[in-house]
Order: sequence, then C-alpha cells, then structure tokens
Amino acid sequence: MSAQLDPSTLQTPIAVPHFIQGQLLTQTSTTYRPAHGVPFSTPALDLGKLVWSRQQPCPALHTPLNEIYDVLVATGDLLKRDSHGYLAQALDSMALASPLPRPILDFCYGNLWRMFERTKLEFQVDKEVGGADVIDGWREIMRPDGRAAYVRAFAPRLIHVVAGNTPEVAAMSIVMGALSKGVHLLKLPSNDLYTATAILRTMAAVAPGHPVVQSFSTAYWRGGDEKIESALFRPQYFDKVVAWGGEATIRSVGRYIGPGLELVGFDPKTSISMVGREAFAQQVDLHEVAAAAAHDVTLYNQSACVCSRFIFIEADDAQADRFCAELARELNVDRDIATAIGPKTPADLREQIDVLKLMTPDYRVWGGYDGQGVVIRSHEPVDFHPDGKVINVVITPSLAAAVCHANVATQTVGVYPSSRKKELRDALAGAGVQRIVELGATMRGCRGLPHDGFYPLHRLMRWVKEED
Amino acid sequence: MKTARTQLTDLIHGGAYDQPYAHVLELQRAAADELFQLQRPRIGILDQRARDAGIERIGSLRDIVPLLFSHTTYKSYPQSFVDKGQWDKMLRWLGTLMPIPIDHIDVSSVRNVDDWVNCLRDAGVRLYASSGTSGRCSFVPVTASDRDKMQQIVASYTAWPNTPKADRSRRLYQLGAGAGPARQIDNVQMLAASFAKPGDLHYLSDEPLSIAFVNRHAAMRRAIAEGTATPDSIAAYERESADRAERMQRALDAIAEDIYQHRAEPLLLTGPPVQHWYLLQRLRAKGMKDGTLNPNTVVSTGGGLKGAAVPDDATDQVMRFYTGVYSHLGYGMSELSSPFPRCEAGRYHCPPWIVILLLDRNGETLLNAASGIVEGRAAFLDLLYEGRWGGLISGDKLRIDFSARCECGRPGPSILDGITRYTDVGDDKITCADTIDAYIRGAVEA
Repeated sequence: MSAQLDPSTLQTPIAVPHFIQGQLLTQTSTTYRPAHGVPFSTPALDLGKLVWSRQQPCPALHTPLNEIYDVLVATGDLLKRDSHGYLAQALDSMALASPLPRPILDFCYGNLWRMFERTKLEFQVDKEVGGADVIDGWREIMRPDGRAAYVRAFAPRLIHVVAGNTPEVAAMSIVMGALSKGVHLLKLPSNDLYTATAILRTMAAVAPGHPVVQSFSTAYWRGGDEKIESALFRPQYFDKVVAWGGEATIRSVGRYIGPGLELVGFDPKTSISMVGREAFAQQVDLHEVAAAAAHDVTLYNQSACVCSRFIFIEADDAQADRFCAELARELNVDRDIATAIGPKTPADLREQIDVLKLMTPDYRVWGGYDGQGVVIRSHEPVDFHPDGKVINVVITPSLAAAVCHANVATQTVGVYPSSRKKELRDALAGAGVQRIVELGATMRGCRGLPHDGFYPLHRLMRWVKEED
Repeated sequence: MKTARTQLTDLIHGGAYDQPYAHVLELQRAAADELFQLQRPRIGILDQRARDAGIERIGSLRDIVPLLFSHTTYKSYPQSFVDKGQWDKMLRWLGTLMPIPIDHIDVSSVRNVDDWVNCLRDAGVRLYASSGTSGRCSFVPVTASDRDKMQQIVASYTAWPNTPKADRSRRLYQLGAGAGPARQIDNVQMLAASFAKPGDLHYLSDEPLSIAFVNRHAAMRRAIAEGTATPDSIAAYERESADRAERMQRALDAIAEDIYQHRAEPLLLTGPPVQHWYLLQRLRAKGMKDGTLNPNTVVSTGGGLKGAAVPDDATDQVMRFYTGVYSHLGYGMSELSSPFPRCEAGRYHCPPWIVILLLDRNGETLLNAASGIVEGRAAFLDLLYEGRWGGLISGDKLRIDFSARCECGRPGPSILDGITRYTDVGDDKITCADTIDAYIRGAVEA
C-alpha cells in the first residue's frame, strides 16, 4: 500500500543555471518542487560569491557610460540574432514553466533587443539624471553663496527582486543596472528563472570579462528564505533592495530594511480604463474603441500590472451592452502579446460570474470560460479582482464620478477619447494614480519618464556630493 | 419501494457506519442522479452549470465533478446590494441557489442585514453565515426539514462510536456566542436539544452574533481601500477590536470559574478549539488534572487551530484533559450536514448520505480508487439537503484509504488523520500585478 504521488513530484527537474559575477554555473544540486508548476534544480548557493566587497570599487565604476552604451547595444544586436542560441534555450525552458503561452513568450523574447537601443538608453540617462556626465563623474553646481559643489550619481549596490510575470522586467533590471555602473544581484522569481541569465550570457559573449559583465549575478533561492536573506540583505553589502511587486515579496523584504538599506518598491498594481460618451458619437467606430480597450485588457493575457481590469463607461445600458458585445469579440483575438484563447477563467471567478449571469438586468455577461474571455456589465464594480481575461464594464454617470474607484494601487488609467485625459488627470493623480494614457496605448510607455511615481534610474543611484 | 436517497438518509437514525460499502456506493450513484433530476429544474445555478458542462444525468461519480460549488458561490452576492439595502435583490440572489421560491417573502421592513436574516428565518429559511478572509459573509441556506434531519444526526452520532445518552441531563457551556446565524452556534442549539438540561445553558457571550457587526469589518476595509477612512476612525476600530478581545478573555475567566464549581456534574462543553485551549489553561491554574471531569460529560469542538498562537501539541493537550468523557472528534465543515466521526483507529468515516469525491489539486479529475491510499482535494455531494444543492468542493487536502475495510473493522473508505489545506503559499512567483488588498494592514487585515 503506497500513497499516490502528485504528478509534479515524478517529473525530472529542469536545470536552472546561475550567473555569478560573469561566470555561468550549470552544475545543479538543489531541487525545488513548486506546488503549481514544474520542478527545477539550481546550483548550490555560495553566499560569499553573491556579494561584492565594499573594500573594492564596483567593477564598472571607471568605465565611461559611452562604452557601457556600446556593450548594451552590442548585447541587443546579439539578442536579436541569438546566434549562440542562449535565448532559444531559455525560451524552451520558460515555455515549460511559464503561465504565458508560447506565442506571447516568442514575441516578448523576439523584441527584448529593442530595450537595448542606443536612443532609448541615452533618453533615459538624459531625462532622469540630466546627462551622462553625472554618472561618469562629478557635476559641478554653483551654490547661491557662490561656492561650488560637485554631485555624482554614484554606482549603487543593489539586490533586485525581479518579477517574473513578463520577461521585460529582467531586461529592464539589467539595462538600468548597467547604466548605474553598480553591482547587481538579481534574485530570480520562480515564474521567470531564465530570461535574466540568458541576457547576461549574451552580454558576456559580446564583451567577455567586461567590468559590466562582472557586475551582475543571478541566483534563485526561495523568496523569504531567512537563512539566505538575513545573511545577504545587509547594508554592509547592499545599498538598496529593488522589489518588483508581489505583496509577499515586499513584506518579506521589509523585514530587512533599516538604516543603510533602503527599499525601492515597484509596488504591485492594477489598472483601469475610462471610456467617455464620445465613443457612441455617430462618426465614431465603436468597434475601434472596443479594440483599443481590449488591447489594454489582454496584455500578457491580463497577467501584468498594466492590464486593465475595470472599464468605467459613460453610457446607458443599451449603449454599454453594444460596447460589451464588441469588447467580448475583441478579447477573443490573437494579438502580439495576447492569445485569442487565454487561460481558463479561474474557478473562483467562474462561480461568482455564474451567479451574476442569473442577475439580469443588473448584470449581463458575454464570452466564455474556456479562455475566450469574459465581459461583465454592471452598475457597480464587481467585488472580485477580474483576472484571466475577465473585464468588468461599469456604467458611470460621468468619468469624473468614476475617479473614486482609482486608488493608491492603481497604476495606469487608459482614457477614451484622449482629449478627456486633461480633465481627469489631477483628480486621478490625487487619488494615487501614476500614469494616464490614451485608451489602447498602455504599451507605448518608454524609459526615461516616471514609473510608479518616481524616476527609477534616478532613484537607484546613490547621490553623493563634494562641497567647496 | 424506497428511493435510493431515502434508503441512505434513513440511516441518520442509526447504523450509518456499518453498511456494506459496495451497496452504499451503488445507492449513492443512484441517489445522486435522483437528487440531480429533482433539483436541476428548480435551482437556477445548478441548471446553468449542468448546461455548461453538458451533464444530463449522473451515471457515475465522475459526472458530479463539474457540478460542485465552492464556498465562493455562497458569498457571490454583490456587496452593493447589502450596502445600499437592496434586500429584494439579495432575496433574488439567494433564490438562484435554492429550489424553493422565496421571492414572495416580504422584505419591505428590513433595515439591515441581520433583519434580512431574521426575516428569512421567520419565513422558514435559516441562513448560516460565516465570515471569510475578506470579512465578507457567506450565506448558506438551510430549510426547516433539512435542519430536522441534522438534529437527528446530532442525536444519533454525537461522539460516535461511543455515543452518550440523549437524556438532557447536562449543564451546557458554550465557549462562544449563544445565538446567531452560524452553523457552529446552531449546532450548539441542536446539541442542547438532545443532551443539555433545559434552561441550564451558559454562554460566553449572550450577545447574538451579528452579521452587521461582521460587515463593519468589511466596510472598514473598503473605507481604508477607498481612502475615506480617517486615521481616527482606524485607530478607534483597532482599539475596539482589542477591547473586544479583552472582554472575551474576562468572560472566559468567569465561565471557567463556573465550570470549575460544577466540575463534578455532567457537563456539555462546546466551542471552537482555541477556546478549549484557553479554558484548559484556566482550569489547570485552578488545580484541575487531566481526566477529572464527570464521565457523563460531552465535549464538542470543531474547526482547526490554524493561525492561533498556541503550542503545536495544543490539541493533544486538550484531548488529554478530556480523557474519560464523551468527546466528539470529527472532521467536517460547516457546509456539510454531518461531520465525519473518528473511529477507534483514529480515522474519519464518511456518512453514507454524503458522497465523498477525491479530486486532483485542480479539482478537475476524480481520483477515487478501488483500493489503496490516495491523496487529493476533498469534494462532496451531500445527499441529505433538499433546500440547496449539496455539491461542494473544498480546499482540504485529504488522504483516503480506499481499502474495503478500515483498521477499526468497519467497511468502506476512511480518511487518514493529518488533514491539511491546499494553498499557493511558497510558490515564489513574483508578479507586478496585485490589488489594493496589499495596501491594507492592521486589525482589518484579511
């Protein structure tokens, strides 16, 4: 008589390499079996190798930013060609473990190189810190009393707790890390164990032994593991912990924050849309408005902070229902980073939606649970968090009246028509919102502008001064 | 000729755990279809699910799997109905879960959620409410005839296999509220009706459990989320929570003293496990030793000690203290008509009127086997209920021995001790997407 085992315990673990200060480690020794997902094994952790001594300057401190641009641009070029197959290999492993379907991963990986384009790097440095000079050296500033001061955006020592729901987070952490000239330990999430390491391997291939390459490490340990985090998360080794969302992560990291160790939180967020009555004007194609809304809802099959979950609409019931019907069709369409058939509607949402279906005319429901997406029309926001291509269209007397539904957890608000943004932006910002865009344009963001309420590169740097 | 379902539910009077399993299983299959055919046209939510899943009849246990509801269904009403006092809409909501028409019930004079619950009770529909993690209440309807059968189960099987006389001879202590729309509290009333001395009922709190009060918690959370709660009101709320906990501790002191004074009499002690633990501390402090209560005493508890600040062996210590009395140790949940009582071999037995379905982690595939121990997610079809559909999927992780006989010698599958829950904690998936819930802390935390 023996107990039947969960199928996940029977699978051979996938090997997850680590990248430690420029060296790839492939010899695995520790196996993890996540409750949901595929088992994986990682190299043993040598904690001493995960920190950089403060007795030594950061390896890239004296490397001119221009040279770092060159390394990043060359990395982007190789990522595009992937002639070593590092990305392809990571993609195959990702596809086994990621909740995102292969076509979305393919698209994301195929476009990672775009984040390494020189114009984008320069724009970020120029807009966030006012130019390369303040990272490369000490910028002279004349004080009101006529004395000079010298300010430098100094290379920081950072731990990045990387989010894994989209591969771009790993790329963004590496690009900003390289621009900072600091040292960077990337703690990998179980939902993206591969992207960061693949990018760094690519960088090591274009610039073997380069100081920037030596400035990065990637490693997995179970988030919240006190034995490891209590040893590493100390101001003697690191200046800041950069945490990308996840309540559990941020709460866990918070335990180690104290004098000398700061938390930079890209807090977990949610996003909404607002559609004005202009959508129903005669000359407007409602289908196009619905398509723009669907774009914002379905990004990464609605698994990211930028994805809209509620659409507040100025409409009567009949107009809203027309919009919802169009929207439901548009949820069921393949896009660059969305699939016509996405994840099945989570069971607990399905149960709640089932009941709402029986509550007409207060509620109406379109779509299906098998991945095509679900639209719920109501007069009050639903009490659950729409997820897995589920969108709640809420009728509102005015967009201004819907501002009360934005709060400190609201990241992006997509507005239709674009001209209505200005009447709403102060109220939305006041409620806690940090980004207001035209409906359908949520992915047109760029680095160099604020993110989550601050300038990220500016905030990662250590700002130091010398005064005459 | 009795229907299969009647043959099973008749066992509430006795003999439930001695039936040949092959026969029970055959009756369960037939009874499940009888009940499905009866209820499908009458329960909107069941009909919709059956239509979606393409289930026309229950030919095997597998056909029940798409027809299971979790706890979520019973709290799926829009909160705005309650907040805006739209009691007729709440009635409509409840109506989608029930096979009997309730839309005729007059709710025009209802002023708050407790009124609504009372109004339904007066009309013959009892609601069991329970607060979930979000502070939002679920409402599980129980009709008078379903409750009569549950009362019979209490009379027949409390502390099974060593059942006490239902002679109404005991002084009852309830280590919680004595009245209110909750399964646990109603269970106290049912125990009292069979085992307690009429009029000799002592409650930790005489204040009835109020749903409006539980809802205040949810309302406070919402106010914080929306940014409309002032720091003063948050501080007052937290202080009030602390004061209430303190009052409960003092009430427990008083009830412990009363129990101590009457320790030689047959008692009936009921309440959540953590309260039994606190009671134990107090009785020990008065010098009472393990196993010294009157042997005619009945102890009943339910639920777990999850999250309570107690030692790991708290349950063992409590049970040692209650050595020599009738103690009711069941596995169960408030949605089921009966707990699964524990046999001499320390295993839990499934009442024949409840079909047990062991599913995979995702709750999609039936794992019930002909033999051997299988681990999986617990689900049930409770054939006893006529006032709602009894298909229930839980978050409990069980190991069931599907051998023909339990180690105690009785026929049929048995549930092994060591029940845990499926959780997603520790998956270490980090995502940038989350809700305002992450931004709320303190006494109102989920």
